[in-house]
Amino acid sequence: MILANGRRYDSAMQDSILDRLETQLNQTLAKPAPAAETVIAAIDKLGQQVAAGAFDEQIAALQIDGAEQYKDLAIRLLRRDYLEFKVRTELGSDFSADRVTNPPPGLAPLRVCTRPLGVLLHIAAGNADGLPAFSVAEGLVTGNINLLKLPQADNGLSLAIIEALLEIEPSLAEYIYVFDTPSSDVAAIKRMADLSDGIVVWGGETAVAAVRRFAHPGTKLIEWGHRLSFAYLSGDASQQALADLAEHIITTRQLLCSSCQVVYLDTPDMDRVRSFCDRFFPVLEAAAKRHQPRTMGAIAALTLQSRTDHLENLLNGGEERLWHSPLCSLIPKEDSVLELSPMLGNVLVKPLPRARILEVLREKKQYLQTAGLCCPPEEREALAERLIRAGVTRVTTLRNMSATLPGEAHDGEYPLRRYLRTANIELTEQTDS
Amino acid sequence: MSFRSKLFGHPNPYDIAGTEELFVSAVRENCSYAYRHCPEYKTILDDEGFSPDQLRCAEDLAKLPILPTALFKRRRLLSMPRRRLPVVATSSGTSGHASKIGLSFGDLWAGLKMVLRVCRKRQLLSLRPCHYVVFGYQPNRKNRTGASKTAFGVTLFTPALSRTYALRWRDGKYVLDLKAVQAAIVKHARSRFPLRFMGFPAYAWFLMKQMDEQGLRIQLPKGSKLMLGGGWKQYYTEQVDKPVFYALAKKVFGLDEADIIEFYGAVEHPILYCDCEHHHFHVPIYSRVLIRDVQTLKPLPHGTPGLVNLISPMVRGTPLLSVMPDDLGVLHDNCPCGLDSPYLEILGRVGLQDVKTCAAGAAELLEQTEVSL
Repeated sequence: MILANGRRYDSAMQDSILDRLETQLNQTLAKPAPAAETVIAAIDKLGQQVAAGAFDEQIAALQIDGAEQYKDLAIRLLRRDYLEFKVRTELGSDFSADRVTNPPPGLAPLRVCTRPLGVLLHIAAGNADGLPAFSVAEGLVTGNINLLKLPQADNGLSLAIIEALLEIEPSLAEYIYVFDTPSSDVAAIKRMADLSDGIVVWGGETAVAAVRRFAHPGTKLIEWGHRLSFAYLSGDASQQALADLAEHIITTRQLLCSSCQVVYLDTPDMDRVRSFCDRFFPVLEAAAKRHQPRTMGAIAALTLQSRTDHLENLLNGGEERLWHSPLCSLIPKEDSVLELSPMLGNVLVKPLPRARILEVLREKKQYLQTAGLCCPPEEREALAERLIRAGVTRVTTLRNMSATLPGEAHDGEYPLRRYLRTANIELTEQTDS
Repeated sequence: MSFRSKLFGHPNPYDIAGTEELFVSAVRENCSYAYRHCPEYKTILDDEGFSPDQLRCAEDLAKLPILPTALFKRRRLLSMPRRRLPVVATSSGTSGHASKIGLSFGDLWAGLKMVLRVCRKRQLLSLRPCHYVVFGYQPNRKNRTGASKTAFGVTLFTPALSRTYALRWRDGKYVLDLKAVQAAIVKHARSRFPLRFMGFPAYAWFLMKQMDEQGLRIQLPKGSKLMLGGGWKQYYTEQVDKPVFYALAKKVFGLDEADIIEFYGAVEHPILYCDCEHHHFHVPIYSRVLIRDVQTLKPLPHGTPGLVNLISPMVRGTPLLSVMPDDLGVLHDNCPCGLDSPYLEILGRVGLQDVKTCAAGAAELLEQTEVSL
């Protein structure tokens, strides 16, 4: 299914729609970009519809554990006050108003205008439900025309959200095009890329590398790649801190960029790592029991995996595994490497004395995202600074590792700024006066 | 004569009641063989305090220790030396974690008898020659997947006039060539002889859609059949409901619903489940299916969905007595086709393939744990 100018077309129409696209984009670009206020008002109304249950059926069809929290988060992110706060934080107040520079005496002032990049191609990944629509919303708030290539696994939610938005604000129709082009149709995606000023790509290394191969070297690439996160514990963590960490690990199932893969302890001593496991395991298991999966398929997967693990361990000599249950496990390791855990409640525990933070984390600098930090208050400032120097972009409490913190950057950048460009107009005598 | 030979020589492949004792004896015989010849299997049985003599009646089958099919992907478990295993089949997983299952001459012989009986019952065997279109792999020495062997085996049901493959071996790799398949179909539609299709349903679906979009309508010769097996694999999300599939086959090929036959099976459980005229997979006398609770693994009554446990005494080369694939299913009774054997409905895969993740490297890792039959 393709969406163009607010109308649905069959996927077979793709080539003829692409043939006409350049002319249409140029016609739209000839008009002033939509005001942020128009977009925000429409999204706010959309949020009210979500709150009133307009999408409950689609959300239920996703069959995800925690669908309620998912809906609550969506409602919060779509509210006017949140959107205005986001725009203000990322772009400053009144970003769209032009200003004139005030250079040192003898130098001519310039007019400075902030404008949309123009046309954005969003290549969305299927790793979060509704994410493609979110990416388009960011492009719209900054006044861009958005071409969206849906992920293969999209379940229709993104299109439903976008259509609802267009029903609220039909004037946005010419700013959104949605294509269900499969990733294998590189020729078509390249055509879209050639029509775009910027490409926003979400996904793993394969997706990002593919875009870099076909994009024109001059096209701006905005890459939201996959990341790794960890917890760093120094000194004695309180029981509450451990409970927070367990809750985070179990509820995110370690699937997010911001999910804890490794728990680092500020020590070179493996005995301390093991005694930490003794203390943390019951807390983790309690959290896992509280949040047991509810869908039949997920329970079955756990049961099968646990039976397979048990038999394999038995055949490998049946070494007794401490800190292991069908629902979760702790895996102590002597090295300090930051790596992906087996996920789904199975977390790595490693020693990392603070003196080695830089050398260890720099090895994974391309992947660093969140560090959940737990330490004595007087050390927090210095440790946070060291983690950030190593390349971490978020330092949070253990509880909030995966929380959406209002006003925060995304992987080290404010995304809205990247969807805009700064243009200058030289003042002439006429305009100057 | 072994109990297995007697069971696989039984004339009626769906006479469950009449072969109950024989089935239990054959499982006991095979279990005790595996216990003596496969040290890993002995370790597992000893660990669970189970001995082959505990198998006395049908109820005891549920006590057999269950081996998840994933275990065969992680460990090679064999009950015979490699030289006595003429066939080592692998599951068609592309992930590099494929099961390796060894089959002995005796296993193949039993399998052949089973295939002939089941297919005769469904009237698939004929002396009338046919053209074959295989929606699967062209046989190749490097391809050891069970799917390619089955697809080729099916082309032996009748004398084959020609064989056209959708996945062709070219320059050291397989390429999907639906155009060549379409050309062969258009050509064979004018033949006096029937055309038979065999292979993955996803490719059949893509081909029919492609032909439909081009407005192609063909009336295949009488006796033509569409035989499907192997599941939807990586095209899981494109899976369509059976009635939609049948309607398109009627529209494009002029095939009636009764000419569409579906198979279910797995490398780790090489029993041929062939659908009846109502497209239900009845359990044949060569196996038993238990549906188990997804949490406790306790057997469930018919009609309740759960994990699928497949039990069979067919294979001696590998201890495949009681295996569990990553499928969710349910057993039903009272099929209007008249067979009293219960039938298995596959409801889908267990949960992991729907996992969405943005942790670096996670998608690749999860991909590996996905199991394909």
